[in-house]
Amino acid sequence: MSTLASHGLRTRPALAGALLAATCLTPAAYAQDGTVSKSEVSSGSLLLQSSTPGRYVEAPLVAADVKMDIAGPVIRTRLTQRFTNPTDKWVEGVYAFPLPEDAAVDTLKIVIGDRFIEGDIKERQEARIIYAEAAANGQRAGLVEEERPNLFTTSLANIGPGETVAIQIEYQDKARLDNGVWSTRFPLVIAPRYSPKPTFGPTADRTSRILAVNDPVPDRDRITPPVLHPAHEPSGAEGLRLPVSFDIALESGFRLADISSRSHGLIVTEADADSARIKLQDGEVPADRDFILSWKPEPAAAPTASLFREERNGEDYLLAVVNPPVLRVEGQRRDRETIFVIDNSGSMSGESMDQAKQGLLLALDRLAPTDEFNVIRFDDTMDMLFTTAVAANAQNLARAKRFVSNLQANGGTEMLPALRAALVDNDRSNAEEVRQVVFITDGAIGNEDELFSALTGGLGRSRLFTVGIGSAPNAYFMTRAARQGRGTFTYMDDVTKVAEQSAKLFAALENPVMTDLAVKLPDGAADAYPSPLPDLYAGEPVTLVLRTADLKGDLTLSGKLNGRTWTQTFSLSEAAATKGVAQLWGRAKIAGFEESRYSGMSLEDVDKGVLRTALDFHLVSRLTSLVAVDKTPARPAGERPDTRQIATMLPKGWDFGAVFGPEAEARALRFDHLPDTVMQNINARAMQEKPPAESNLALPGAATTWELMLAFGLGLIAFGAALLRRGRILIGSRGLAPASVGPSSTASSVRSRR
Amino acid sequence: MKPTDISTRSLSALALLVAGALIAAQALYIPAKAQVAQVLMSSAWERQLSTGDPARPWPWADFSPTARLSFPAQNKTVLALTDAAGESLAFGPTLMAASARPGERGVAVFAAHRDTHFAFLKDVKPGDTVTIETTDGRHTFSVTGSDIVRWDDSNIVPHDNGPPRIALVTCWPLEAKTPGPMRYVVWAGLREGG
Repeated sequence: MSTLASHGLRTRPALAGALLAATCLTPAAYAQDGTVSKSEVSSGSLLLQSSTPGRYVEAPLVAADVKMDIAGPVIRTRLTQRFTNPTDKWVEGVYAFPLPEDAAVDTLKIVIGDRFIEGDIKERQEARIIYAEAAANGQRAGLVEEERPNLFTTSLANIGPGETVAIQIEYQDKARLDNGVWSTRFPLVIAPRYSPKPTFGPTADRTSRILAVNDPVPDRDRITPPVLHPAHEPSGAEGLRLPVSFDIALESGFRLADISSRSHGLIVTEADADSARIKLQDGEVPADRDFILSWKPEPAAAPTASLFREERNGEDYLLAVVNPPVLRVEGQRRDRETIFVIDNSGSMSGESMDQAKQGLLLALDRLAPTDEFNVIRFDDTMDMLFTTAVAANAQNLARAKRFVSNLQANGGTEMLPALRAALVDNDRSNAEEVRQVVFITDGAIGNEDELFSALTGGLGRSRLFTVGIGSAPNAYFMTRAARQGRGTFTYMDDVTKVAEQSAKLFAALENPVMTDLAVKLPDGAADAYPSPLPDLYAGEPVTLVLRTADLKGDLTLSGKLNGRTWTQTFSLSEAAATKGVAQLWGRAKIAGFEESRYSGMSLEDVDKGVLRTALDFHLVSRLTSLVAVDKTPARPAGERPDTRQIATMLPKGWDFGAVFGPEAEARALRFDHLPDTVMQNINARAMQEKPPAESNLALPGAATTWELMLAFGLGLIAFGAALLRRGRILIGSRGLAPASVGPSSTASSVRSRR
Repeated sequence: MKPTDISTRSLSALALLVAGALIAAQALYIPAKAQVAQVLMSSAWERQLSTGDPARPWPWADFSPTARLSFPAQNKTVLALTDAAGESLAFGPTLMAASARPGERGVAVFAAHRDTHFAFLKDVKPGDTVTIETTDGRHTFSVTGSDIVRWDDSNIVPHDNGPPRIALVTCWPLEAKTPGPMRYVVWAGLREGG
């Protein structure tokens, strides 16, 4: 609960303002000493340990290159990034980067100077030890760890003065299919989720058991609130931005009607009927928003199902994406009981609250008089508009709209009581009526275990629809909550498109849902994930992975839609071979283990299962990390080389494309010199000098600037008052003012004054 | 003078007044919060003493008071908390997580703002008494001297296995209004039999 409580605290806007002044580093702390904390990292960047524990200097990122190979629904992404150590010391770097939530990270390659290292998968603790020993030996070493399900960090030891480091990470992912449109999202921004917004807590909780032991930043709890966004960093903000280029090979497997991106302009070359090569119109773009790519089949060519396989160690792994036929159900709108839960905690203040309100008002408008509804709002307190669900008549709706319009964002985020209240069902056995809980929040969930238990035990006939508000909703949590609540997750990130974005939610709420989805596996096949299969809402496909001993027999999918049964059968032998399916299966199995924690599996069994699967499939997970160690020590013992060298010798087979062209080189050189203030903060930790544990305690800032602020505020008031007084005098003498303009008015005004 | 000029002028004057009032209120909020937090913490401290369980000063707080520091010569008592998050200094003196516990071997480091909770440090002289109560018991220290150090070169090695000492840290210079890199450290050693 303590994290929950701290969220409440952190989200209070007034406090946040005051907190800015809470250290000797004034609101411009970032600008002053150039350091950031891990939580302030907004996009992938290499962090160099500074002399303040837990604070880092961001190394200038030269360029990033994303290579995506899309084969049907299977996506292989290779992300290459290059950094330069701007200091004249041997440093250790920590590099944080976002990835899609279900990305299966399996490869790490590092080039530091002229060294090429490839990573191996190890148990997290073991990897940590291997890395630490190599670092102490002066060997170059790298370590990739999962910090959150969608945030990974790489640590790099012994980066030489002025050296350039290239990091290559590969992961397996699958494309999403939604209403017939395929898409993929490449996250370029760790949105404020990782600044100390409420969402920092829940995922940290989830892994704290591990982090407590392995955390490279032992004092992560002390990370201070953000003072200035790194993007506003004053010295060469443009330069420090991450330029990214994309090179995407798309083999859709069907005739393409359209390739588009709503985030970036595209150039499509080598376009074929079913394949294309895609680059960005602007070449390299700053990493300020996620990259989203969508592709659509020609209506006639749209496949109803795609089946892919990969053989690995004598077994076959399959991925099936099946689009059930759209079953139109005419005139069969079932009455609903809808409970709207809206988060008005402090973290929602501003645009988020407006979005949430707008979305909820729209949803209220869609209720029919025969429906029942209720509205619950919560921060660290909670109110139910009506004691129990009421008819959606004009009077009740008007009252609800007033209630919603008057909501103000403030306070902490105590979600559990609100969720419990929303799940109280007075009419559990009423199968005629649909009961839906719509949860509108930014996901400031403090204690997900409790919430999951509440969901598991108390769901009944209710279905949970989570709506993620704002630029950084905790998508990971809300997706899982929706899955466990057998509803959907809707993402609302654009205040100007609330109507458009809520359409998906309304479609899910109002259209019949396919239930009792089941898969019948042929003999020898097993381990299908997700398990159990979720209910299907309008426009959603069935996506599942499974393992089989041999490619024989049929796979049968079945489901029920408004009493009618749908079945579809595939022969396993029809599956097309594609690389990466096994990795996807491994990742799904890990996710399955993690989820079963909330349905009663013991923690030991969960850990055992996750660990075994991750090691088998070479995947980074909560319990496993990739570690790479160079055999030869790189740092000369004792002495510090004083010349700068930018070594860019690369092994064959590394296609950095444009990244390593002359332009990139020029950019790299431009960043060679950082301001002195930044340089002062770099501490060649664990390399040459005393390790920090034995050295001086760094002291926190111990002054506020309230007196200064007060003086400034009072000064403004005094100035404003003086201005106002002068204004008044002028207004008072206004009658005299035109005196110089014309004689007639002079006369009249003089007269009138007399 | 045209009327539009006058209204522009009074409008900007009003804007200045409002902005000034907001900034002043924001500024006053800092010491006010520091005071209120101490009041709330002291009632939490009493609850904690009577029940023996950690008590939160306010429902959404993520800490409970760790120690009570008394300075008899200055007639001051402040409640300290453990460094849990970056904002803890706003509420009271903070026992730094990396430091020793008061009364244990090594240095217990308490940091607080020079313009709120540790404003009185300027009056603390060698020989003055500092009493620290924790849930483990009560220790009395004598002030031995003071240091002015850079924040990143403090010479404080918390776990040096030396005799139990405390270091009270605030910003230097004490009267300055703007932040700086220097820190003022008041040292105190455990009194015999304390």
